[in-house]
Amino acid sequence: MIQFEGVTKKYSDDLALDDVSFKIDAGQFVFIVGPSGAGKSTLLKLITRETLPTSGRILFNGEDITRLPANKIPVLRRRIGTIFQDFKLLLTRTVFENVAVPLEVLSYKDQEIQKEVSAVLQKVGLEGKGNNFPVQLAGGESQRTAIARAIISKPEVLLADEPTGDLDPKNASAIVELIEKINKEEKTTVIMATHNAHIVNTFKKRVITLSQGKIANDEKEGRYEAN
Amino acid sequence: MKQINKTLKLLRRSPYQALAAALAMSLTFFISSLFIVLIIGGQIVLNFIEQRPQVIAFFKDDVNQEKINKIIDEVKTNSQVKEVKYVSKEEALAIYRERNKDDPLLLESVTADFLPASIDISVYKVGDIGTVTGLVKDRAEVDKVITPENLVSELTKWTKTIRVGGIILVSTLLAISFLIIVMVIGMRIAIRREEISIMNLVGATRWFISRPFFIEGALYGVIGATIAIFFVYSILLFYSPKIQQFLGPIRIFPISPLFFIYLWVSEVVVAVTIGVLGAIIALYRYLKI
Repeated sequence: MIQFEGVTKKYSDDLALDDVSFKIDAGQFVFIVGPSGAGKSTLLKLITRETLPTSGRILFNGEDITRLPANKIPVLRRRIGTIFQDFKLLLTRTVFENVAVPLEVLSYKDQEIQKEVSAVLQKVGLEGKGNNFPVQLAGGESQRTAIARAIISKPEVLLADEPTGDLDPKNASAIVELIEKINKEEKTTVIMATHNAHIVNTFKKRVITLSQGKIANDEKEGRYEAN
Repeated sequence: MKQINKTLKLLRRSPYQALAAALAMSLTFFISSLFIVLIIGGQIVLNFIEQRPQVIAFFKDDVNQEKINKIIDEVKTNSQVKEVKYVSKEEALAIYRERNKDDPLLLESVTADFLPASIDISVYKVGDIGTVTGLVKDRAEVDKVITPENLVSELTKWTKTIRVGGIILVSTLLAISFLIIVMVIGMRIAIRREEISIMNLVGATRWFISRPFFIEGALYGVIGATIAIFFVYSILLFYSPKIQQFLGPIRIFPISPLFFIYLWVSEVVVAVTIGVLGAIIALYRYLKI
């Protein structure tokens, strides 16, 4: 599904990723772990083509996305759902309107949007919250809204960049449980960057550990011991 | 329609910038419309004067008809002369009575003997008035010659001045409107930066992201041109009796509504072009995705 082949990424003189290679199969749930500055976010940005590698290839279903022409990037991004630590919700839009954004981009009709958004809000446990604005939501609810937005267009891959970073342990576990449920039920490939050792060690998934831009470890049911 | 509604919703969120852009457009096209009306009006006045007899030669009272006919025949042979029309004393009286029919005081005790016979000479080119005047001016039978030559050249000069001044002023205003639109749309892009980055991330194309800004630019154009035409039409409607009274026999009013429709359509086309161009520049300059 996603394959990194000798990927190096430099920002001026800083080496974010150094000759990184790995392969993630369709339907897998993978934690990318490591301390701040290890290159986790860069790795995710490379998958969404927000940035290009300095060298190496990144294959998405066999297609080298580093060579993707600019007009094909939106098509790639529609196959990927993304969630962030700071949720990135639009504060002037309601929960319903935030979740509907990807469908608007895909030019869905109003009736279809209504149906799909209602269904996904129910799936993430936000029924009855559609008319609320982000400021009226608790942290866990905000992240659920972001997840709903990320999965509404049924992406093949869900990228989560520190999704539990701003949440208390109880809400953090609930959010990862929700992501795991999506992974199992929808067969969505999940790549989650985190440095939350408790979450990683509880869910027992494949763990790729990054250290100073290199892969330090890649285990099927790995653990993470944060220093 | 859905896109226009969406854009209007965005405009309502920061109405003052939208108001500034629409007002700048209105002012530009209001002044443009006034200049267009002035230039067209000036041309109508000029055409009217040019079509009138350009040289009128009045005969002395003692000149007999035979001599007058001889002069008419001579003038007619000149290639610069388009038409020569004789106006007898009786015809002059009839014209005088018609013009002053509402003022009995002026009609009292005026008879044909008071008014001189004359010939009205039309020329092909206004520039030939001087030459044609020379044909009759120094003749013993002619008492007085009047020509509107100075008036025509004065009016031509004014029309040209208005045209040049109008072009300079309107071009400046168009440039200001354009820059205001670039600035307003640039600010809107900055305000919606977060939204744009999310749309970009969920797979929106550049066109999808840019479209509301193009519609916004075009809307400023439509609103601006429409407000401008509304005010110009209202002002002309209100002042038309006074202006017509001033112009006398030169018929300018009523101006056909069709003229205003054409003017509105032309201005909307120009305004929308400026709005969309402004949006293109703002997007090129500020939309980084």
